Amino acid sequence: MTLPESMRPTRRHVLDLDDFTRHEIETVLDTAIGMKEILSREIAQVPTLRGVSVVNMFYEESTRTRISFELAAKALSANVVNFTARGSSVEKGESLLDTMRTLQALGADILVLRHSYAGTAHLLAQHFRGAIINAGDGSHAHPTQALLDLFTLRDKLGTLERRHIVIVGDILHSRVARSNLWGLTTMGAHITLCAPPTLLGNEQFWLDTWPDLRIVYSLEAALQDADAVIVLRLQRERQEAGLLPSLREYAQFFALTSARLQAAHAGMLVLHPGPMNEGIEIAPDVAISAQSVIEEQVTNGVAVRMALLYHLALHLRRKGA
Amino acid sequence: MRYLITHGMIIDPSQRVATIGHILIEAGKVARMYEMTDRLPEADPDLVIIDAHGCLVTPGFTDLHVHLREPGEEHKETIATGTQAAARGGFTTICAMPNTHPAYDTPAVVRHVRQIARDVGTVQVEVIGAATVGRQGRTLTEMASLVEAGCIAFSDDGSPISDPAVMRNALAYSRMLDVPIMSHCEDTRLNKGWAMHEGAVSMRLGLPGYPAAAEEVQIARDITLAAMTGGHLHVCHVSTAGGVELIRHARQHGVRITAEVSPHHLTLTDRWVLGTLDAPPSAAQGSLTQRLDQYSHIYAAGIQSMRQSADLPLPAWLNPTLLPPFHTSTRVSPPLRTEADVEALIAGLADGTLDAIATDHAPHALVDKQCEYGLAACGISGLETALGLVLTLVHRGALDMLNAIACLTEGPARVLKRTPSSLRIGTQADLVIIDPDYQWIVDVNQFVSKGKNSPLHGQRLKGRVMLTMVAGQIVHQELGFGMTPRATPVASRLEGILNTDDDDA
Amino acid sequence: MSAIASEKEILNGDEIRRAITRIAHEIAERNEGVQQVVLVGIRRRGVPLANRIAAVLSDVEGVQVPVGELDITLYRDDLTLRADVPLVRTTRIDTNVTDRVVILVDDVLYTGRTVRAALDAIVDLGRPARIQLAVLVDRGHRELPIRADFVGKNVPTSRDEVVEVHLSEVDAGEDRVLIAHPPR
Repeated sequence: MTLPESMRPTRRHVLDLDDFTRHEIETVLDTAIGMKEILSREIAQVPTLRGVSVVNMFYEESTRTRISFELAAKALSANVVNFTARGSSVEKGESLLDTMRTLQALGADILVLRHSYAGTAHLLAQHFRGAIINAGDGSHAHPTQALLDLFTLRDKLGTLERRHIVIVGDILHSRVARSNLWGLTTMGAHITLCAPPTLLGNEQFWLDTWPDLRIVYSLEAALQDADAVIVLRLQRERQEAGLLPSLREYAQFFALTSARLQAAHAGMLVLHPGPMNEGIEIAPDVAISAQSVIEEQVTNGVAVRMALLYHLALHLRRKGA
Repeated sequence: MRYLITHGMIIDPSQRVATIGHILIEAGKVARMYEMTDRLPEADPDLVIIDAHGCLVTPGFTDLHVHLREPGEEHKETIATGTQAAARGGFTTICAMPNTHPAYDTPAVVRHVRQIARDVGTVQVEVIGAATVGRQGRTLTEMASLVEAGCIAFSDDGSPISDPAVMRNALAYSRMLDVPIMSHCEDTRLNKGWAMHEGAVSMRLGLPGYPAAAEEVQIARDITLAAMTGGHLHVCHVSTAGGVELIRHARQHGVRITAEVSPHHLTLTDRWVLGTLDAPPSAAQGSLTQRLDQYSHIYAAGIQSMRQSADLPLPAWLNPTLLPPFHTSTRVSPPLRTEADVEALIAGLADGTLDAIATDHAPHALVDKQCEYGLAACGISGLETALGLVLTLVHRGALDMLNAIACLTEGPARVLKRTPSSLRIGTQADLVIIDPDYQWIVDVNQFVSKGKNSPLHGQRLKGRVMLTMVAGQIVHQELGFGMTPRATPVASRLEGILNTDDDDA
Repeated sequence: MSAIASEKEILNGDEIRRAITRIAHEIAERNEGVQQVVLVGIRRRGVPLANRIAAVLSDVEGVQVPVGELDITLYRDDLTLRADVPLVRTTRIDTNVTDRVVILVDDVLYTGRTVRAALDAIVDLGRPARIQLAVLVDRGHRELPIRADFVGKNVPTSRDEVVEVHLSEVDAGEDRVLIAHPPR
């Protein structure tokens, strides 16, 4: 009658996927299946996290991640408060830790943090008594995005074991790419990175850290035999910073166009963490093609975040009890 | 007051002396040296005997690079607290960098600072004048007037002089004053928005990088300008292997160049920013808290652990996994580099390419460090851990004790073109007593500096300053040190010091 | 579970089969046929029991009664008391339960807390005309005002005893119900 082992009892925060075991990732994804069913109901809400307070601390603009976390918390009947840097004491020079301590004193159990500086979630985790979920910190990590990508890929491909996944775009500055690399490789997938050298950074680092990884400059070559491609958003600032000669040239060589899609393996899935620059990194018709699972990623994101909230909140409440 | 320091291992790099004996201090000067067999002076109520059994007695250290923060940022450090920290670190002379508010860019400010230092300073304070007005990198300061007011060098430290024409003029103009231009070598166009060294760790953590090249191209530029002008270029806090190589080459070609390196760049790497991310899965998340608990435990043990006989294996002495990832105490400019850089810096020190060890003591208030990594103030509060860090190199066999002491005494004096502090009879008694085997745990809360910003909190160091004397006055003394006769020194201690062991590499 | 000193079989395979058959007949009788009935098994062992009841009803009444699977994890009232974080499984009820007769099926009825959670879960899915409860074993010790409509066997137990239900669909070996006594 023993229940299967679930997430490690020691896990208190979700800061990145680099410390997740395969079993732990699978537990989250399996839990998310049940959560997705709840979302499909007419009354898409269960009472599980009544009395738990979740605060969305967003120091960087984000629509979909914040709404996704808000819906996830509400579907589990948690209390949700949204805090954005605009219109708060941050503008008056209140430090992040001060704000965190205020929220802690007000009874916050789980902080969902989005911040433009890498390492900020780790900073809060050192001081906060509850749980921290990193909703994206600088170029460092975006574990919930990676988990929803893993969920979507596993759902469509059956398994990630030995599946070939291409990540194309601004890998150097991408927290989505970093977290996905940890998650995908832990799940046994093979990765190809595709970008111009100015958006790859220290290429030796990628090869040293993940010996099976490939780096390819040509998108056509990268897509051969790919089971899925994750297209990253290209920030226009990169061009302004001189990392690219022009957006036109980038689109010409690195955009996922229908021609490149047709040349690839027929069932190849197309993912994008959003928001898309249609016409730059991805062609509009590719984004809505049959191979695109971009909309499903958004739905799955709520289910995966519910799964994380469920595990972290229960762990916290047990400790408190 | 007269002092007799007995049974110490007397090391004086300026005289190439290393011998066991006694030193008599009288009227602020070194009055006499005694061999072990000599008869000691009669007991006398006015004569304080300091037992230095098993300890080294060396000339006082000089620190070329200290941020005292006064005037303008007295919440971070003051001349009073900064000089107390210096005394604790064994420094009897420190050179204050001009990135204050206002900067040390007018004779009035320089005189003011020197006056405060005379009034409240525990150790000798020298003033480094700003090289350009307001450290803006545009107009040269009135260097001749500033030298008259007491400046011993010029620097815009913290803000590199980006315009090469300004740097050229600074080097050329200073030539008539025979003072060095201390250059903080950084091309800020190559490290925009940087948070740490650009390398594998920055890639992994997604932190914007400061490539080694941003330092190296500027060193190369300044060397060329020094060669052209004949000015004396002093390169501050060299942190890269390429930088060492450029300086070595310039030296060989007769450029007037000197250079310093900080204790932290000689011992720590960018791995320290990664902290515990590599902790085994079983210890992973909650680990942050666990580790903080572990910390206080270590700290408690540290206070108790005075002299511990058991040696710990190296290099476990310095353990980056005591820190959580992204710990802002590791943010420093220039950033902590790689192991290869550390090795090159040590080699540069050993072969004389680098003249001096300078702390770049950069105290900050807690609020400046308790924030996002990329927004945290750069700097390490380094005066009180400098010797302990340098001695890790000696204990490891990477540097011999005489050389290490020389880099803290003779080397800085060479940069300033001064007679090095020494233990010669008749010279001012600026000296330090060091216990090279004293193991202790760094506790930033015990720092006398206002700056508690050190990545070494919780680390075990071996070697500590037990007593510091400036002009014959004790300015720092570990509680009870030297007052009761100490145990006979262990023979092995002396072997390490004299570098007689040639069997371990 | 070597800590258990002795076990006693209270139902064997045949007895389980007969109990299920009887429950199926009672369901048909009580509800005047099974046209409106939806069987909902509570995970895990309620699900095979519901399937077996449906099979009997199909034979007897000639009607294929819909069977759903209900996971009540997210409705439990002991989530914070448990040492582990229970796995969430999927609820799968393809029939709309509104205005139907929902028969909750579980293996053992004990404190009633699982059934309380199941009732909450069902009403979140719709508004059934009636909800009834069928269990293989009722071992007493209710903590909530809940009773079963259809019971395979009433078994008096003490609180420190454990009732183990083995069903071939989910457990290795034969069908049987054991009562295990704790070591003395």
